[in-house]
Amino acid sequence: MTTSFIRSDDFTAFLAAMLEATPVYGPVAKRSRFVFDRLESPEELRLDYDVTILPPRKLFFSPAQDLLRFDEAGPAAALEPVEKVLFGVHFYDVKAIDQTDVLFAERNYDVNYMAHRQTTTIVAANIQNVSGRAFFASVGTEVRPKGHDAFLTAVDGGYVLEARTERGEALLGYGAFRPATEAEIDEAARVNAAALERCPEKLEHGTAEIAAKVRAAFSDDDLWSDLAKDCFSCGSCNTVCPTCYCFDVEDTWNVDQASGQRTRFWDACLTEDFAKVSLGEGATENFRETPGARFRHRIMRKAVYLNPKLGGPACVGCGRCSAACTADIADPVRVINRIMAS
Amino acid sequence: MNHQCHWTEVENIFMPREATIVRAEQATPTEKHFTLAMKDGRAMEFQPGQIVELGLFGYGEIPIGFASSPTRTESFDLVVRSVGRVSKAINRLTGGDSVWVRGPLGHGFDLAGLRGQDVLIVAGGIGLCPTRSLIQYILDRRDEFGRFILFYGTREPCLQLFRDDLACWRGADDVEYFETVDVGDDTWTGNVGVITTLFPKVELTPETRAVVCGPPIFYRFVVRELDLIGVPRENVFVDLERRMKCGVGKCGHCQINDKYVCVDGPVFSFADVQDLEEAF
Repeated sequence: MTTSFIRSDDFTAFLAAMLEATPVYGPVAKRSRFVFDRLESPEELRLDYDVTILPPRKLFFSPAQDLLRFDEAGPAAALEPVEKVLFGVHFYDVKAIDQTDVLFAERNYDVNYMAHRQTTTIVAANIQNVSGRAFFASVGTEVRPKGHDAFLTAVDGGYVLEARTERGEALLGYGAFRPATEAEIDEAARVNAAALERCPEKLEHGTAEIAAKVRAAFSDDDLWSDLAKDCFSCGSCNTVCPTCYCFDVEDTWNVDQASGQRTRFWDACLTEDFAKVSLGEGATENFRETPGARFRHRIMRKAVYLNPKLGGPACVGCGRCSAACTADIADPVRVINRIMAS
Repeated sequence: MNHQCHWTEVENIFMPREATIVRAEQATPTEKHFTLAMKDGRAMEFQPGQIVELGLFGYGEIPIGFASSPTRTESFDLVVRSVGRVSKAINRLTGGDSVWVRGPLGHGFDLAGLRGQDVLIVAGGIGLCPTRSLIQYILDRRDEFGRFILFYGTREPCLQLFRDDLACWRGADDVEYFETVDVGDDTWTGNVGVITTLFPKVELTPETRAVVCGPPIFYRFVVRELDLIGVPRENVFVDLERRMKCGVGKCGHCQINDKYVCVDGPVFSFADVQDLEEAF
């Protein structure tokens, strides 16, 4: 695969040609913050974003995704994936996509996610601005992002585009690229390394050490109830997390009351009823009854449980949960560093 | 991205198949016993202990354990307790109606491990439904197993399920059947007491394989009895209930620590789950 260079002056034309040919999603401004959205014009693309409100997972697994449609004749497929480009993803979000790729494919292959994923070309981009709660430089450092088709780095006078797959290579056709020089490739590497130095938050220990100590703290009920004592059980930490993928499934009727759809919605294990079952006659059993038990489950999922499957923690250091938490108690850095210091 | 499958070549794991209700019987005031056959005429192939997602479009799906043995291939049984929106809608259905099923799902009982062994089944309340699949299986292939002992407990006599089966088992010589109720009534002449009061009634060896299915509180007490007999915990199998929403190990609702009950279970050896803090 090749590494190419495009001048800043030619970059807009490259984007315009790509937008002409295929739907492109990328970071765009939304009031004071950023979201991944369909690009209507090259000017909307904001590669200087720090972090988006929601992770790009929503393109493969939308907040409300129809699993099937039904009418009197029975069920029918609802899957209509569209070829598209997801442009400008930071490496931590690529790592998160790598994880959901593994988790949706393993054991029971979930075509509802995989179809959207396999029809998406991902172009990663260097981190120009770092969000106030990020810690991507110190979490899961043994795991490298791999699910992207190309990696774009802004350098002096233009952009270096490293193609990693055929799909990534194919994007070169949209713009006036030329082979990158050694000096440009070196500069791109320096730019990406420098971003790692700018994280405001930092885990103090490695993945295995954290996993062992956090697991050992499981039965310390006082710890978990203290950590969760201000928890509103709102699930915001789950909703913004790029590696969370739990969902609820619900049927809804159309207005004809004869047809409808079975839809999955993002769900959140911090919410009170996530593990609750009905026993009948109004009685219920909640297998994770307290905020502390639910808070613990999230931290275990992120730092311990999935590590064997993923090769690292199910956290990529984006800092979205820390920023989204109303009570500001969700920050994995604070939680884990506290446990490690105990 | 490197994944073995291409999406166009894979079935949607959420697509159910149609089944017809052959028979529907109100078993208790809240539980309805359905006998189902696949609409396409094919047998439902499953292992005792596995589950299906039973659904009705416009309402949703619920996880239910098979209540009949796969040795009886014309149809299969499911018992639905009216507790929520979906189960109440399903329990309004009757013979001839259609339902939609996905499955079989999950891990059932280790039949190979049970073959040739003495088997004790301890069922509490609605826990008789998933264990009935194994009970029928053992009775249908009786010579493949050693002694067969069955304990069944309910809160009250009126909550007993599968009354025809119970009548048959009481007099049968191919199963040593014992039953109890927590609280008796005027008609009840049998044992009164919690499930553990049945243990002194029969001689059990440490080599016995034990299958336990009941309400959450049940396990701790039954396993204590089995410990006293000396049954190793890897030979004790539990059938656990959780909110298995998707049934395919994705949605997260049924997790016990890092295990997904719907794919890693619902049948576990007690040794595998005893150290999971969220299991009991």
